[in-house]
Amino acid sequence: MAVITEKQVLDALRVVQDPDLHRDIVDLEFVKNLRIEGGAVKFDVQLTTPACPVKEDLKAQAIQAVNAIPGVTSVDVTMTAQVPKSASGKKTELLKDVRHIIAVASGKGGVGKSTATANLAVALAQTGASVGVLDADIYGPSMSMMFQVKESPVLDDKQKLHPVVVNGIKIVSMAMFADDEKPVIWRGPMVSQMIQNFVHNVVWGELDYLLIDMPPGTGDVQLTLTQSAPLSGGVIVTTPQDVSVLDAKKGLKMFQKVSVPVLGIIENMSYFICDNCEKKHYIFRQGGGRRISTSLGVPFLGEVPLEPEVAVGGDAGLPIVEKNPASASAKAYRDIAGLIAQELSILSASQTGVLGDFDYTWDTLPKAKTA
Amino acid sequence: MTKVIAPIGIFRKDPDMLSIQWNDGTTSDLKARYLRSSCPCAACVNEWTGEKMLDESRIPADIKPARMLAVGRYAMAIHWSDGHKTGIYSYEYLKKLDASGQSAARSELGSKAT
Repeated sequence: MAVITEKQVLDALRVVQDPDLHRDIVDLEFVKNLRIEGGAVKFDVQLTTPACPVKEDLKAQAIQAVNAIPGVTSVDVTMTAQVPKSASGKKTELLKDVRHIIAVASGKGGVGKSTATANLAVALAQTGASVGVLDADIYGPSMSMMFQVKESPVLDDKQKLHPVVVNGIKIVSMAMFADDEKPVIWRGPMVSQMIQNFVHNVVWGELDYLLIDMPPGTGDVQLTLTQSAPLSGGVIVTTPQDVSVLDAKKGLKMFQKVSVPVLGIIENMSYFICDNCEKKHYIFRQGGGRRISTSLGVPFLGEVPLEPEVAVGGDAGLPIVEKNPASASAKAYRDIAGLIAQELSILSASQTGVLGDFDYTWDTLPKAKTA
Repeated sequence: MTKVIAPIGIFRKDPDMLSIQWNDGTTSDLKARYLRSSCPCAACVNEWTGEKMLDESRIPADIKPARMLAVGRYAMAIHWSDGHKTGIYSYEYLKKLDASGQSAARSELGSKAT
């Protein structure tokens, strides 16, 4: 019997393409840990995100390709994932193991941004990714409620903050420092300082995705965040009606102004499914989110229906994705999380070479090659 | 998604020129003095009227960018050797400066191709 070589296997695997990166998995160095024992071929395929929506397809294709090699008796593929580092901005010491920072924003309040953040966090975590949530909504923090956080983050002897962990998700929220009943009434500079603290003094450890629940609007906090945290991308939450869409546009422009790639738009409260029929009732008009995404050329990530259960889950500290995974909303959030992960993978692949992280002095600056 | 302008390399070009290589394949050569006098911060340019508040004659002849730091992913903060450090230069602004100041900088240097 002919001996199967490593090269044979790799050549066969070249037909398997990553649909997003448009390169084959051998070229992308996704194939790891290749072992050939007689007719048995074993290897790992390491994807760029555990949330990859085409994971099963790729696995099936890989098995098929290797099975076609004469002499192969069995193929054993293990799918793994290693989220690539974002090319963006300078990472502070405590953020250096955070691969992607995603800002979830909205132009105005009340569109369900915090609910979306909580559910996306759970959806990403369910794929096996390590996830953190920073609730930067200084004036109306709600993450503690959404995840039923009772304890406060621990301050260690180096004056660094350790996030509270709920169901594997690391959470830091302004609510953990403020009184539930008392409003936060702060001036701009104090807010900026607090945000800086959140970004630079929290020990996040290793994270695949850190979601930041931004306060609504386009003001001081948003600007401070875009300047002090190296954001990989921003997601905008809106509702279908015109006023909200108008505000979402502003949020989008803000991201563009500071060169944070907009990963896409989520339309929340898109339609209502009542108890008795399966019909989608578009109570706030239809397609607002899709319209801005087309007019401004950013991806449309999906529609999330209005379901009473979402609100109940939010108030009870159980995001719908966790509480009722079979619901339409949970499915929508899982799809959106998959798309976000996919966009980020594409982005980091396209940004290789960009100087994101620098702190030069005139003397440490490399000299230009003279012609 | 539209590609945003970002540097792929920043270099020192003697004696007093900053050279930035962009991800669109172009290069901007910017004289230190010109960059300093174009500082967009609120102390140098009136935020409301756009009037230039900076007295250029007070810029030392041997001005140097002492430190250059990335700001988010859209800009660079420059700390100058004269102590001024409130300027945040967006990449877009730097490209624009290059377009308007390039010819002057080049002719002074005797127009060497990059």
